This record gives sequence, structure tokens and C-alpha cells, in this order.
Amino acid sequence: MSDGELATPFRQRAGGAMKDTFLQEALTIATTKFIGLRREAFAGFPEGEALRDQARAIKEATLQDLDRHLETLIANVERLGGHVHYAATPAEARSIVVDIARRTGARMAVKSKSMATEEIHLNEALEAAGVTPVETDLGEYIIQLAHERPSHIIAPAIHKTKGQVAELFSRELKRPAEPDPEALTRIARGELREKFLQADLGITGANFAVADTGTIVLVTNEGNGRMVTSLPRVHVAVMGVEKVVPSLTDLMVFLAILAKSATGQKLSVYTSLVQGPRREGELEGPEEFHLVLLDGGRVAQIGGPLREALSCLRCGACLNVCPVYRQIGGHAYGYTYPGPIGILLTAMMEGTPAVKDLAHASSLCGACADACPVRIDIPRMLIDLRREVDERKIAPWTERVAFKLLARLLQHPRLYRVAVRAGRLLQRPFAGSGRISRLPLFFGEWTRTRDLPPVASRTFQERWASDRDLRA
Amino acid sequence: MTTKAEFLGRIRDQVRRTPGLFAAAAARRPQHPAAEAETIRRELAERWPETLEAFRREFESVGGVFYKVGSVDMVPAVVARIAHEREAREIVAWHSSALGADLAPALGARGLDVHQMPAAEPVGAAERERLRAIAARADLGLTGVDLAIAETGTLVLVSGAGRPRSTSLLPPCHIAVFDRTALVESLRQVGVVLEAWHGDGTPPARGAVINFITGPSRTADIELTLTRGVHGPKDVHAIFVEQGLRG
Repeated sequence: MSDGELATPFRQRAGGAMKDTFLQEALTIATTKFIGLRREAFAGFPEGEALRDQARAIKEATLQDLDRHLETLIANVERLGGHVHYAATPAEARSIVVDIARRTGARMAVKSKSMATEEIHLNEALEAAGVTPVETDLGEYIIQLAHERPSHIIAPAIHKTKGQVAELFSRELKRPAEPDPEALTRIARGELREKFLQADLGITGANFAVADTGTIVLVTNEGNGRMVTSLPRVHVAVMGVEKVVPSLTDLMVFLAILAKSATGQKLSVYTSLVQGPRREGELEGPEEFHLVLLDGGRVAQIGGPLREALSCLRCGACLNVCPVYRQIGGHAYGYTYPGPIGILLTAMMEGTPAVKDLAHASSLCGACADACPVRIDIPRMLIDLRREVDERKIAPWTERVAFKLLARLLQHPRLYRVAVRAGRLLQRPFAGSGRISRLPLFFGEWTRTRDLPPVASRTFQERWASDRDLRA
Repeated sequence: MTTKAEFLGRIRDQVRRTPGLFAAAAARRPQHPAAEAETIRRELAERWPETLEAFRREFESVGGVFYKVGSVDMVPAVVARIAHEREAREIVAWHSSALGADLAPALGARGLDVHQMPAAEPVGAAERERLRAIAARADLGLTGVDLAIAETGTLVLVSGAGRPRSTSLLPPCHIAVFDRTALVESLRQVGVVLEAWHGDGTPPARGAVINFITGPSRTADIELTLTRGVHGPKDVHAIFVEQGLRG
């Protein structure tokens, strides 16, 4: 993200998104469509529920032995002639990839869609080193030409109209472009085909890595993952350490639910199992294969409160169902990973202070946990984050004091009853419309983004007490 | 720079002092995958027509075009028809040993320009470049199939000598030829077969990539409008040979 964007408070970013009528419509259409496709896919797949449980169990079992599975993966990648690199931080990951590019004399790098390389801001580092990075997923390509960031994990350019894309192509590619998705896709195919054939370096993430076989697994619909791993002479894959699974048998469990959760497909169009560099007898494939293992805040969470988030498959299902994401879209979150899971991943990677506002950008309705293919309990961790924001005094003191007072009131019935009576008097100037939508002093922070229901003219407790005789 | 020992050491420390969230185990792998894969194959030999029908249904639902022919001699006519409809002439093809049939002469006789990929690794960068350029300009790519998955309508292709990755990727149209030996019912069965290829069985080829292809290349990145052929083929055809490819 740019510093400028983060300098704007979350509330303003979200407010801006909610005034953007095109974005509002695009978000509604996209997320509604994804929700429907996902529901249909699982409706016709009775074994899906059991597979989700199994997938979660595999992730948990792998974490319980993560060091051993990584050692197996590393040994197998090296046995096949690949090289493994170790990046504790995003900066280290960037310098590893830049060094590989320099050493191999690469001038252009083609990339298939990868959240991990977004996360480490690899493109800027490559550009600074004189290597031109080219995003090849159509959505990512559009975003790169526009110098923007993705707004959805699997549909990065949903915030753009075909008219905007046509204008962008005409300006950046210096050729006429009609606002027709088919024609625009054809233009991108031509432009990117040349890049695939010219590029020296192919950069990917990894949806999974199979320890037992040293295989990197890439899932795409467009085929760019295959291009990037087949045509350039060097392939670098950047992956978070949590992406490893023990065996091919485990892999099939995940493949059976991943695409259904993301786009409602039974499988994405292309699933490529890539096992190291080109083999003897092969016409294509890279001469060199490098695997960059990334920590970036993950390892500390193996024993941390965000452990469950390490099971995330990056399918985007929790974004589509989230009432907050559906209103504000991905950009307002301000970091690489949007949506409910994105808040947890941002806390993991940037630390809790980064999510002091985002931790509250959830209604805690639980739709995300229901949609998650591996049943990550996102709301539970969001509540824990809120508590941490409070306990570590990251939240403003007014907020902390207000909630401490509220907690005290809720614990003491007598005090509570007094407060209710006081509140009924004090709210009079503000509760005219039946909702309190503006409060004075720092209480106004609460009502800036939401109404407060007024104290009832007769509370339940009061009715319970006075109606006792009638019930008897 | 972080060393391997430091990196793994940190992970080991975390893992050792962290109790798991719940008792969990990875999926149970087949103990003798080759034998199990053989059992699957034997059972399928009896019910292949149902499996083929399920495959056809799924393959068509993801946008593939399915053909069934009696014998391998009938394949060139189908390929020629597809070429004719597209006004295409140039075909890049897997080597006959990888395809399971020598179709080049019959295709040539029908006026098509067939470039068969070599069975052995090409010598020298220039030759490699020349062959890649052929795949990049060809109208059609003709390949075999190692597994055809009925559950998902997926074609699985293993790369290797005589079976380049680009044949099913660079041309705008991919034609795959297969027979009943490739059919499997489910992703679970694919897991067993993959374990067998990796373990005590024999893989169909020894290249570094196994590709699962489920229909034509697609994207919905512009206003969610489904568009085909963004990077890979826009059209995918599968020709089933009832009497088998290898006689």
C-alpha cells in the first residue's frame, strides 16, 4: 500500500468507499454471484462437509509437526535440483529474489498471481533493481497498469468498469481498445504472450507445497501459472511456511474444496504440480528452480493467538459473505489482505497496532466462519484482537475508560439500574427520532458510524418486577 | 541472511512448546499405492461406459467438446474437421510414442501441416527455440491424456520426453486423444494414482510437471464477464477412442 493511503484513517477510507456508487454496485454483484456459485457447488457435493473437516485436520496436523514437514520438503526440492532460501522478513525475501534476478541476468520477470509476493512488495524491489515485473493474471495486469492494488483476493479488479479498463489499455498500451471484456481480454492475451516468451524469470507463489514429493502446486484459471513455470529459464516460487501439506493424498482433499469455495468450480481450470526444474528429455521448463520460504510473522503464531489463521487457503469465501467487506471493498482495509481473514493476517504480519481500527471492522455475525472451507473461527480471533488492542493500551484512553465503566455497570445490578434511570433522563435531548444518532463529547465516537438504541421507557427488568403479581 | 538452521530452529521451538488445538492426523496414504491403483483400474474396466458418460457430462459442462470414435483410424478425420472449421493448418503434436498412435501421416494426407515433437531432448538452445516457436504459432495442439477424471471433467497430462508442456498451452485450440485406460472416477482415486506414480508404481513419463486441465482457459476479471482463452487455449476438444489407442 502507499503511505498516503494509510495516512488516511480507516473510517475515512471506508466512508469514501461507501460513497463510491460504482464500487457499491460492483461489490454487491460480485460478492452475491460468488456466494451463489459457492452454495451451488457444495449443494451438489454431499461429501464436502466431511472433506472440510478433514482439510482442517490436515492443516492442524501439519502445524503440529511443521519443522519436520518443512525439512522433508526442503530435502526433496534439493534432491530434484532445486534451491531453497530462507526469509525471516519481507525485506529478506525481496533481497533473495532480487539477488537471483541479478545473478541470472534477468531483465524481465513474468509473475502469476501471488498474495505472498504482494505481501512482501516484491514489484517495487524488482523495479529498483532494474528488473521489469509483469503481472500476468488479467486482473492483476489491469491493477498494475493502473498503479493500484487488488481489491479482492481472487478478483483483484472488481472495482473497475470495462470502460475504465478500455481507457487504461488505450492510454498505457497506446492502442485503441473497445469497452468490451472479450476484446480487452484479447488485447491482454497478445501483450502478455510476448512477455511470456521474452521473460527470463518466472515468479509464482504456491497454493500448496507437497513435502513428500517436493512439489509446488499452482491453481489458476487463465493458464498464466503454466506459462510462468514453463517458458522462462528461471522459476522462483515464494511461499509462506504454512502452505506445506504432507502428501499427494492430502493435496487431493484440498483441491476438492478450494475452487468450490473460491469460484464455485469443481476444479479451477489449471492445477499444476511442479516438481523442480526441467528434467532430462524435456523441451521446456526452467533450468533453475528456487523456493523461497517466508516467515513474515507466521512462525510466531504457531504458538500464538492467531494460530488458526495459518490454515487459510486464500480462497476469498469469507470476503464475499462479510457484511463489512460487501460495503467497503478491499482497498479500505489498507493492507495486502482484505476482509475478515485479512484483518487477522494483517495483525500477524504487521502487528496488533496496525489493526486497532480494523479489529472493529466486523459485525461478528459469524458468516465468515461458516463460509471458510477449513472452518477458521475468525470472529473468536477478532474478539481476542479487540481485547489485546484494549489491554495493550493501543486504543485511545477515552475508549478504554468508557468500556471499563460499561463493564463495571454490567457486573453490578444495582449500579446498572441507577445508570438506566440516569440514562433515560440524559438521553432526552438526543433520542427524539427513537434512535440516538448523535452524542456529545467522546461518546460521539460511537455514534459517528452507528446509532445507539435509547433506553426503553420501561426496561425489561422494570416490567419483570412490576408484573410479578400478574404472573402469580 | 537467515540460515536454514536458524529458520527451522525458530519453527522447531514454536512447535515444541505449543500444544495442538485438537488431536489431528493427515490423510491416510495408501500403503501399496500401485496395487490399489491397479485394483481401481480393474474395477473400472467393468463399468467404464458409466464413467465415460460422467466424464463427458462434466467435460461439456466446463466448456469442452467431446467426441467418441470407434478406432484410432477415425481420429484424423475428427482432427481434420476441427482444423477445417477453424481454417487452421498447422498442428503441433506430441511424439507418436507419447500419443499412443502415429497420426502424422494420416493428418498430413488430409492437408494438415503436422509438427511432431521429438521423442528425445533437443540438442542445443537454437533447436529448443525453434521447436518452441512452432508451438507458439501453431493453430492446434494435439496431445494424449494420462488421466481423465469423471468427477470434474479434467484431463491430466504428465510432461516429459516427446510430450512438451507447451503443446496443450500455447495454441488457441487443444485436442486431446484418450481411451478407457485413462479413465478414473474421482479425485480420491487420482490421489491413489498420483501416490503410485510417485511411489511403487510407474509414472507415464518422467517430466517435472503434472497438469490438471479442466476446460478452456478462462477469466472473469473484467466485470465478472466470463471470457475464454485469456492465456491458454480458448477451445479444448477430447476424442475418446473406444477400441483403445495402442491396438
